[in-house]
Amino acid sequence: MIAISFIALTVGIFMFMTWLYKRSGISFLFPILTSTIVLIVMLVVLNIPYSTYMEGGKFINWLLGPAVVAMAYPLYTQWDTIMKNRKIILSCVAVAMITGMITVLLMAWLVNLEDEVMLSYLPKSITSPVALQISATIGGIPQFTVFFVIVAGIVGAVCGPLCYRLFHIDTPVSRGVSMGSASHGIGVSKLTEYGEQTLSIGSVSMTLSAILGALLCPLVAWLLF
Amino acid sequence: MKYLLIVVQIFVLYAFCWVGTVLVTWLHMPLPGSIIGLLLLLGCLLSGIVPAKFVKEGAGFLLPILTLLFIPATVGIMNYPQLLSGYGVVLVIIVTASTLITFILTGKLARRMEGKVDDCN
Repeated sequence: MIAISFIALTVGIFMFMTWLYKRSGISFLFPILTSTIVLIVMLVVLNIPYSTYMEGGKFINWLLGPAVVAMAYPLYTQWDTIMKNRKIILSCVAVAMITGMITVLLMAWLVNLEDEVMLSYLPKSITSPVALQISATIGGIPQFTVFFVIVAGIVGAVCGPLCYRLFHIDTPVSRGVSMGSASHGIGVSKLTEYGEQTLSIGSVSMTLSAILGALLCPLVAWLLF
Repeated sequence: MKYLLIVVQIFVLYAFCWVGTVLVTWLHMPLPGSIIGLLLLLGCLLSGIVPAKFVKEGAGFLLPILTLLFIPATVGIMNYPQLLSGYGVVLVIIVTASTLITFILTGKLARRMEGKVDDCN
């Protein structure tokens, strides 16, 4: 009963926030951001622990695995586009991964953060289920990593459209590659608004990022720490 | 009937995820099972082993609600109140700056590599 009410609450808040987001057209009202804030405030005010919420939340969480697998479908329908642009996609995903790591490590080093936090930063542009495992493998704090991953995703989803306009990133390939390799699943979910081609390039970039990150993060951690 | 089809197809997708997880554990790969499941399904679709209509409805249901599926995980932030302090703000600024630099650089690089494209929208 508790489980069902938390599922209903989450879905209800999400539907309302999606309606509000579409109605207002303001990108800062991105549903995952507003729904998360509303839910956290409600749980804190009503003094409900996260573990109780997850009695229901875990059922939604379970769908995350099949949903990641489902990304194979747009890859399949857009296979020709992907193969046609494979050089761009591969090189940009690699550049994005390296740029993300260098910038984040440089800034963390400048403000003198602890090694564990720096290690937790490394997989920040990778989809959360993969990032969690990488963080644990290289000696980071997995919960911090999840937080960074979510922030990276929301930044892409919220600021992405503005970046597209300001920097003339105006093609399905350039939009998909930048979102997928910088802001993983949360950012890519935003691409549903840009059509199937952009979405599939985004998913393939995200997938490649995850595979590349799983190989590269342990190497960087081993070299630098 | 359509809802039944969606539920059955979600189980098909779940099966791929499960096989991926088993393979990962078995081969000690530092990758999540869902990514391997994705690659397996893609291989099956491209080779024609699994017809696209076996997963079309399930994928069409799950992909548009992908953001909803992330919410229970993001609410977990509430267990780490130190991330909502001044220290947390510094950490967030670093992630934000790094993500934006990566995003713009990658987007510009991809756009440049593409060269002239007719179908700008």
